[in-house]
Amino acid sequence: MSVLAQQLLLGLLIGGLYGLAAAGLSLVFGVMRVLNVAHGELIMLGGYGAFWLAALFGVDPFASLVLVIPGSLLLGALLYWGLFGFVVRAHEETRIKNSLLIGFGLALALHALAVRLWTADERSIPTSYGGAVLSVGELSIPLVRLATLTLALVLIGALQLLLSRWRWGKAIRATAEDWQAALLTGIDIRRAYLLAFALGTALAGAAGTLVTVAYSVSPSIGLEWTLKALIVVVLAGLGSMLGTFVGGLVLGLAEAASAATFGGPYREIVGLVIFVVVLAVRPRGLFGR
Amino acid sequence: MLEIDGLQAGYGDVRALFGVTLSVGAGEIVALLGPNGAGKSTLLNCVAGLVRPRSGAIRWDGQDLRTLGAHLIVERGVALVPEGRRLFGGMTVQENLELGAFASRAWGGRRAGLERVYTLFPVLAERRRTAVQALSGGQQQMVAVGRALMASPRLLMLDEPSLGLAPRLVAAILEALVAINRAGVTVFLVEQNVPAALSLAHRGYLLEGGRIVGEGSGASLMADEHVRRAYLGPLAVRTPSPRGGHQ
Amino acid sequence: MTAGGHERRWAIVILAALALLALLPLTAPRDDVLNFVFLILLAITLAESWNIVAGYAGQVNLGHAAFFGLGALVTRMLWTEGAPVLLAMAAGAGTATLFALVIGVAAFRLRGAYFAIGTLALGEILRTTVGNVLPEISTLPAATIASYRLTQRYYLALGLAAVSVIAVAALATSRLGLGMRAIREDEEAAESSGVGALSLKLTALALSTALAGLAGGLFAYYHISYYPSHPFGPHWTFDALLMTFIGGVGTLQGPVLGAILYIVLKEYLALRWVDIHLLIFGALFVGIVLLLPGGLVQAAERARGVLGGARRAA
Repeated sequence: MSVLAQQLLLGLLIGGLYGLAAAGLSLVFGVMRVLNVAHGELIMLGGYGAFWLAALFGVDPFASLVLVIPGSLLLGALLYWGLFGFVVRAHEETRIKNSLLIGFGLALALHALAVRLWTADERSIPTSYGGAVLSVGELSIPLVRLATLTLALVLIGALQLLLSRWRWGKAIRATAEDWQAALLTGIDIRRAYLLAFALGTALAGAAGTLVTVAYSVSPSIGLEWTLKALIVVVLAGLGSMLGTFVGGLVLGLAEAASAATFGGPYREIVGLVIFVVVLAVRPRGLFGR
Repeated sequence: MLEIDGLQAGYGDVRALFGVTLSVGAGEIVALLGPNGAGKSTLLNCVAGLVRPRSGAIRWDGQDLRTLGAHLIVERGVALVPEGRRLFGGMTVQENLELGAFASRAWGGRRAGLERVYTLFPVLAERRRTAVQALSGGQQQMVAVGRALMASPRLLMLDEPSLGLAPRLVAAILEALVAINRAGVTVFLVEQNVPAALSLAHRGYLLEGGRIVGEGSGASLMADEHVRRAYLGPLAVRTPSPRGGHQ
Repeated sequence: MTAGGHERRWAIVILAALALLALLPLTAPRDDVLNFVFLILLAITLAESWNIVAGYAGQVNLGHAAFFGLGALVTRMLWTEGAPVLLAMAAGAGTATLFALVIGVAAFRLRGAYFAIGTLALGEILRTTVGNVLPEISTLPAATIASYRLTQRYYLALGLAAVSVIAVAALATSRLGLGMRAIREDEEAAESSGVGALSLKLTALALSTALAGLAGGLFAYYHISYYPSHPFGPHWTFDALLMTFIGGVGTLQGPVLGAILYIVLKEYLALRWVDIHLLIFGALFVGIVLLLPGGLVQAAERARGVLGGARRAA
């Protein structure tokens, strides 16, 4: 029983990161109808960013968020200006298809770049507090993972605040609901797109840093995390960032339950199966409202 | 002063406007009438910048609007209340209204703007924290009009504001438009509900099949044979006029 | 040129080239050359098979590797148990097609990108399951290795490439192909003029996955040892995607050109820098989607147009 509880706990801890990863994807798709399948690669880059800062300058990974987040914001802006900004010129269905293809090409290129720069090996960031564990009854809670869960929640909360209080946050939400009406209220929707994409990338970068410090990073985590993010968005739907976070937790728990029941190797499958089942049951419902 | 000259526009291969020329003078209320599919919405969407016309000119205060993006046209003081309201459903009344003032010309004065809208439509003040999708049709229309007002427009355009509303509510909206106009805002109104529109318009145009087929003062259009036969037959809607009396 | 006229012309050219390649083992019986051309032929089959659904039925199938993998899996199992390889490959292709038809009905309810990521997820499910159920490397028994003849594999690959080219050409020139093109342009309009979209798409999928299954069988026949989950890996799909798009999706010659370019570049660059070909192709792919959606074929047509214009002007 306590083994199951421990597994579920670990599932919960990574679930928070799934939620954070999904939030960026959800934001971008909700606002721009762009399906950036390179989202996982952006997470990977964020992870490598933190790794580099730690390896080259000894920056503590949690502290490196202060650099990774603005860096990712900038990267997102550059990707929008250089790439996805052209995709939004088309109408919705073409936009989704083109963004899928372009995201795919981008993912491939970034993956190859990562292999060039850091080799295909797994990297992690050793810290002095890395092994610290909090014992609660029969459960051992790895503190680093608890911290990443907490930070993920904080970041989601910050995003939620930004979207509801900041003038441009409201503009982003309005654009997501009805871009023509947004134009009519004086919102420059291209700027809303840019901001949404930059924010989405920043969330990805942050998620990458947290993933690297709590687990590890390698060039191949890109596809894996893109799929996780897609699964969570399918589960949670668009709209609420907090709902997306909860969706991530649900996925984490489902994976843990499946691993406990069917064995470790089947952890990955349950999410994909959920994904496929939801798609089969609600073919429009993936991102439809 | 809004001047439209020889406007041609359409969607893809379908042409909707075949050379429309009209004008709306400062301080006027002008109505654009016509049957379904005549191109009235297309015209407003062209002025608002949502649709790029094929040819022709659109000038507001002497400035060509054709090259401006829709959000910049709002900055120039032209606001559109679109057909079907197009509110941001998940947001509250207040949030929708606030967003109406997004343009930099209006953002600073948005608190005052809110007060003006709440004075005009007191029922919205009570419901300010309600999500707009929970409001009735009439209340939503008020939010839509209020949202456009928040942009401090000098030209307010409305696309079928009375659509789907009970006569009592239509009257309320029309009263509000008269008040708005008295405060100095030019009003350009597209309507299928001819009596309602002509009850407050100074002038009107008749658009059929993408072409202007008639124009005149409100009264002369009401008296016009063609208009009466086509639009004021036995099925015409009886609307209480904001100026008093029935049509 | 009539509909399919281009395809007919190109089919003849390509088949002629393939016929010439049949002489290669006689004129240059070097293993490294034959292996290299083998890879190109396998790539051509993979790309053309993917092209059928993408280029002619208009859907991006990101689960293509699943069918490649199933073909490989079944072929390997039956062949190593003693079945004649052609029979094993047929069974592999049959399995792949059966699986495709089973999921196809549900899958085709999804539009555009949803179909793409749905098929990707399915492919990944298959890969992970196979990887869990059969984690050990699959190696041919010593006797089989001893009797391994590269030329047999070579001719099989040649035959398969020819079959895939003929299949695509036949499709393009048939009523079936015309219907598919109609769906690709505008599905609703096509439906209302009597084109049964679902059955056409399923036919395309069946053909596509049968060829992919055969290619997988070829892979199983060719490699001495590999992990059973390897042919299910998404990079097989991505390779097919890249080759087809860069060459020119929806044309007969596009995937062939793309396959040749891809393998040549990959093998050449692999000597110096391992994965750099993916960086190049990824960037090229993005450029093509944005600027030149018709791929190299479109570029060639434009160049011909420019040259033709220049000649006329001269």
